Amino acid sequence: MSEIQTLHILNKSPEHPRFARCLSMAGPEDAILLIENGVLGFAAAAPGGTTAKLLALAPDLAARGMDIDSRPVETIDYDGMVELTTRAKQVISW
Amino acid sequence: MSTLIVIDQPPYGGWAGREALDMAFSLAAFDQPVSLLFCGAGVNWLRKGQEPGQIRQKSVEKNLAAAPIFGVEALLADGDDCSRYGLGAEQLLDDVTLVQADSQLFANYSHTAFAG
Amino acid sequence: MQDSTSFSFTLVITGAPYSSQAPQSALGFAVAAIRAGHRVDRVFLYGDGVHLASALASPPSDEPHWPREWSAFLEEHGVPGVACIASALRRGLVDEGEQKRYELPASNLVAPFTIAGLGEWVEGRMKSSRTVYFHGTD
Repeated sequence: MSEIQTLHILNKSPEHPRFARCLSMAGPEDAILLIENGVLGFAAAAPGGTTAKLLALAPDLAARGMDIDSRPVETIDYDGMVELTTRAKQVISW
Repeated sequence: MSTLIVIDQPPYGGWAGREALDMAFSLAAFDQPVSLLFCGAGVNWLRKGQEPGQIRQKSVEKNLAAAPIFGVEALLADGDDCSRYGLGAEQLLDDVTLVQADSQLFANYSHTAFAG
Repeated sequence: MQDSTSFSFTLVITGAPYSSQAPQSALGFAVAAIRAGHRVDRVFLYGDGVHLASALASPPSDEPHWPREWSAFLEEHGVPGVACIASALRRGLVDEGEQKRYELPASNLVAPFTIAGLGEWVEGRMKSSRTVYFHGTD
């Protein structure tokens, strides 16, 4: 994915109202990077309700004992997070 | 470079909304185009007749009424959330524009931010 | 691979240390930004984030000392760190100037953080390529 319209950085758990709102606000040209408690969105299955590309921050997955090999989620580290912010036209932290 | 400041938390129980308002007013003071979007429980900022004296806080109603004078371009509120919280036209402050808070709305602004 | 374009970042931290991951995530990001050859123009503490500038934080020795870690980063890379004055004063984070002005018993702002108004945030947004926010969990 080369062009990112908006990068949404979502650090809220799936229980938080902003989780669902972020997913519904993001469009197909956007990316949502789940960090901190947000990575729990991948605990059972990839979160539905969005056409945006989903990524997760690897250190936050590891912290929570979420083995990335068994989950079909693209993971990045802080270097990747920086790169995403430079590639996106806009960055919104939820 | 027009900015949307989003308030999704209600007044008086927490401070994120006041801090968002300060951000919006600061941008306006520097002649930066800015609008405020109230959604979720944040629409409760827009109810008429707030009297928080008994809980030792200042009302936000006057600040919001002054927003256009200070250069905030618009007070936007999600229509569905207003309905959910019983905010009909008579309960809402003046100068509030009802909108659908969706990706189309965000696309109108080059910057969108929450205060916390 | 070196980026052909160098970006500049203003980082805004609104989550407090020991109450949220905001200071840790922001530091991970900031270090990675420098590593990639970008610049961090300034770090702005807002709301509960001002607690990151406390000189009096005393976590257990086996936990990161977040104010010191951020002080070290700011000093090593010559990045200004600013705590918003309205947020800081309310929460009891004061420098010597504010201590004198309000005749307070002490000051507690850790160097090199300074106290200033939201104008610093507005300026950062205007000058930096990107402004990235690190919020708490509420």
